[in-house]
Amino acid sequence: MRSPPRPARRRVLLGAAGLAAATALGGTAAFRALASRRGLATRTRAGLAFGTVAALTVAGPDEPALDAALDDGFAAIRAVEAAASLLRPDSALSRLNRAGYLDAPPADLTAMLAFALDLARRTDGAFDPTVQPLWPLWSEASARGEKPEAAALRAVVARIGWRRVRLTPERIAMEPGTALTLNALIQGHAADRVMAALRARGIEDAFVDTGEFGARGTHADGTPWRLGIADPRRTETLAAVIAPFTGFAATSGDYQMCFSADRADHHIFDPATGRSPRDLSSVTVTAESGLLADGLSTACMVLGAARGRDLVAGFPGCTTHFIGKA
Amino acid sequence: MTHEASRLTPPSPRRGGRDAHALLCHLVAILLVFLALPAHAGTLGRAGLEKHFPPPLVVGERDDRIPVWPILKQEAGAYEIIAYAFESIDFARIPGFGGTAPDLLIALAPDGTFRDAKVIAHHEPVFLEGLGSEPLFAFVEQYVGLSARQPIRVGRPNARAAGAAPATTVDGISMATASTRVINETMLAASLAVAREKLGFGAVNTGLRVEAKPDYAPLGLAELERRGWVKRWRMTPAEVDAAFAGTGLADPDPGAPDEPFSDLTIAYLNVPTIGRAILGEAAYARLMREIGPGAHAVMVVSSGHWSPLPDDFVLGSVPDRLTIQQGGLTVNARDAAWERRDLAPDLPAGPWTLLKIGDAAGFDPSAPWSLSVKVTRERGQIFPEKIAREIATEYRLPPDLFTRAVPDEGPSWTDSWRARASELGIIAAALALLVPVLARHDALVAKSRPFGLFRLGFLAFTLGFVGWTAQAQLSIVTLVGTVRALIHTGDFGFLLYDPPSLLIWGFVLVTLVVWGRGTFCGWLCPFGALQEFCAFLAKPLRIRQVTVPPRLDRALRQVKYAVLAAILLAAALGSPLADTVSEVEPFKTAITLYFARSWPFVLYAVGLLVLNLFVYKGFCRYLCPLGASLALAGRLRLLDWIPRRTECGSPCQLCKVRCRYGAIEPSGRIDYPECFQCMDCVTIIHDPAQCVPQVVARRRGRRIVPRPVAAE
Repeated sequence: MRSPPRPARRRVLLGAAGLAAATALGGTAAFRALASRRGLATRTRAGLAFGTVAALTVAGPDEPALDAALDDGFAAIRAVEAAASLLRPDSALSRLNRAGYLDAPPADLTAMLAFALDLARRTDGAFDPTVQPLWPLWSEASARGEKPEAAALRAVVARIGWRRVRLTPERIAMEPGTALTLNALIQGHAADRVMAALRARGIEDAFVDTGEFGARGTHADGTPWRLGIADPRRTETLAAVIAPFTGFAATSGDYQMCFSADRADHHIFDPATGRSPRDLSSVTVTAESGLLADGLSTACMVLGAARGRDLVAGFPGCTTHFIGKA
Repeated sequence: MTHEASRLTPPSPRRGGRDAHALLCHLVAILLVFLALPAHAGTLGRAGLEKHFPPPLVVGERDDRIPVWPILKQEAGAYEIIAYAFESIDFARIPGFGGTAPDLLIALAPDGTFRDAKVIAHHEPVFLEGLGSEPLFAFVEQYVGLSARQPIRVGRPNARAAGAAPATTVDGISMATASTRVINETMLAASLAVAREKLGFGAVNTGLRVEAKPDYAPLGLAELERRGWVKRWRMTPAEVDAAFAGTGLADPDPGAPDEPFSDLTIAYLNVPTIGRAILGEAAYARLMREIGPGAHAVMVVSSGHWSPLPDDFVLGSVPDRLTIQQGGLTVNARDAAWERRDLAPDLPAGPWTLLKIGDAAGFDPSAPWSLSVKVTRERGQIFPEKIAREIATEYRLPPDLFTRAVPDEGPSWTDSWRARASELGIIAAALALLVPVLARHDALVAKSRPFGLFRLGFLAFTLGFVGWTAQAQLSIVTLVGTVRALIHTGDFGFLLYDPPSLLIWGFVLVTLVVWGRGTFCGWLCPFGALQEFCAFLAKPLRIRQVTVPPRLDRALRQVKYAVLAAILLAAALGSPLADTVSEVEPFKTAITLYFARSWPFVLYAVGLLVLNLFVYKGFCRYLCPLGASLALAGRLRLLDWIPRRTECGSPCQLCKVRCRYGAIEPSGRIDYPECFQCMDCVTIIHDPAQCVPQVVARRRGRRIVPRPVAAE
């Protein structure tokens, strides 16, 4: 399970977005020729979201429509942030964590939470959105150069449990001492929302990077989108390439926010122990929605390769790429 | 024997003040009608920013809450945040010298250094048509590479080369002290506002450093409690019930009736007398070392029935039932995970926390702060509704326990007053000398030659020192700024940055009410003095004064009011035309910039000086908008102070003819709005050899005894 914040997040999926943006900006002659033969222009817009950089690339014949689509795409990102970003003290989720309940929660929040609770049930709690109280414990200890004491860890783990959350469309309520994080899902869900907004604007070719990835159609020049999966230990090199890439992909890994130099302790917690799972280094899941890809990838990190594969097998149309700890 | 025929009228209360007042009210009313507020907001937008940050830089999507654009750079498919770009006008609108706030484009790197600083728009008169904008651009360039985490001050020109701290000083520009200060304040205020939002620094008290003095007195806990340095805060159940009044919620877990609801012991530990009493010498030293310089430690021990530190309180976390507040803001305080065994044994038993307040929190322990506890009660069984109430208590320590260090010695306007203290002293002394000379008509004024020398000397001082040295030429620009501030910004702070001018403005406003506009126009206007000196050239050059026909003269005198009205109207409407029309004044060219300016301006100023050879002070009498404003305000004048005789005007026309300003009517009446207080007519009237009625009387063997009479 992920917890906030994720500063200096390192990119592990790269390739397609980067290549698309670079070519769009730099404009190699060959690319421009091909793109114009198809009568398509390309637009890329980057912005800060979820504590990292999000970038949307769209292609289409009508340039003003591309700009309008990008506006809508970022508006969708802002809406998701306002619903569930823990980096925003005024987000609905932050308010829920402070008060213990929330009336009339926004649709983005209920959609993510409903999915999270369902996945928690299906994974028997291996995926659990209530691991948030572990975060301050680990980050504080890490700031002192220590690890949390076992007793303190036990006390916090006792406050974890997805059954402590009651969700209805009108109200979310939690037992005292419970705190939620949807960081494991928020970027994947944002990719879904952005893609829907782009489609509503008639965009056929798009590449969405909200921290997790979504693609539709092809590059403006007709070549397929490609998604590189970086080696978690040497993030400049690719461990695998998904090509052609359409749909959604999400990666969870031990490389992003580490509490220890050996990457044994990081931002994904096993809800049962309050510590990080030891099996995998990174998991990439492709799925037909960003929410599903993001949730499954985190669940797989906790479950490990074997049980993770069993889980994903229950969701048709999904693929996995596991990279074990070296 | 009729002596009444020749009488001097001494200074006397004047009439007509009410009319003038009505006129002014009218003018103000007209100006206020035009309350068209122009929108003051950033104008660049994405397209504008992309010009300033071209590829390979990428202008990211604007922040959805504040007008800040991330500037990104793409490398190997990943984006890196280079800076946050914003326009200062969206965050700090500090009126410049002309009353309009400058707009700067600032790019702040994530570490708080200035990556870029450019001028988008400014209305600083000294740069607009004077020095040109290049020195201003170069001034702003100096910020690139400096950090907004430190206070930055404007030094003298070449201050950096002369050894000023290069991280905290930028070189000033002579002749533009006020404008550069405004730019500096704008840079820092806007950047700190953005840093607060995006970079996590820039608290209210940024730069302020308050530290406990090292003095230690061995006081016991009882004495500390008596002094309030260790605060015992007992809350009764009744107080808590009062906080929940109206909710119908009772304490779910009431204690014994005589037991306090909660009982907190609060202490600020950095003060050695308090910290050592509680922790002992060694642990106190250890704590101070551990939290580090600039940080603060506050202890809270809870011994009551209800505790703000519940059993599940996590060591090292931010307590959610306890907050420290100061000045309306919550101070970020976090449990420091400190050992209980260090605590003084005579403190109450119970849960405790030692809260650490970081250096960047902007906490000022020498000022009062409050500790508040959050008490929650629930309604309902299955999905209980939580209702929280915050109850606070104040904690304050005597300020003399602390040293307060403000890195920038005071707000910057006091700097300019300190820096110009000697100039202010000299000008004040000169004004103190001028007043009695002008007030006592029978002393120096009555002596033609010595007074003439005094006048020349004073005018030389006005031109050389007040004008060229102290740069205190009053100008219509100040009035424009005041009108803009009055209508648009409400900030008159810009007036404070030019102390010598403000001193003279104050003096002029007082003398305006006593004597009228003449005190300024005839004695304190450097350009007026320059014209007067130039006029001495007329004789050797055999230039004869042109006699302006009276009707034309009267018409031309009205022109200056039209110019004034145009300028003030433009200022009231927020139009930049006000600055353009203000160029009617040659003051900037001749005085501020010593004629070192582009040729059309020099031609104009020199032209006015040449005109002055033919039509004495033609600019002052016909064109000067500042003179016009003073003449208008001068209608509030209380005294008809120029002595008159009944012969004045009929039959004697001597003073009228000799008045170089045409301020005496054929009837002998003084036209005060046109009077420059040169005192020529006062000298004449006191000189038995010049004043015709006196000469005539003496020839007839009589002596005229001046006697006061009532005013006409």
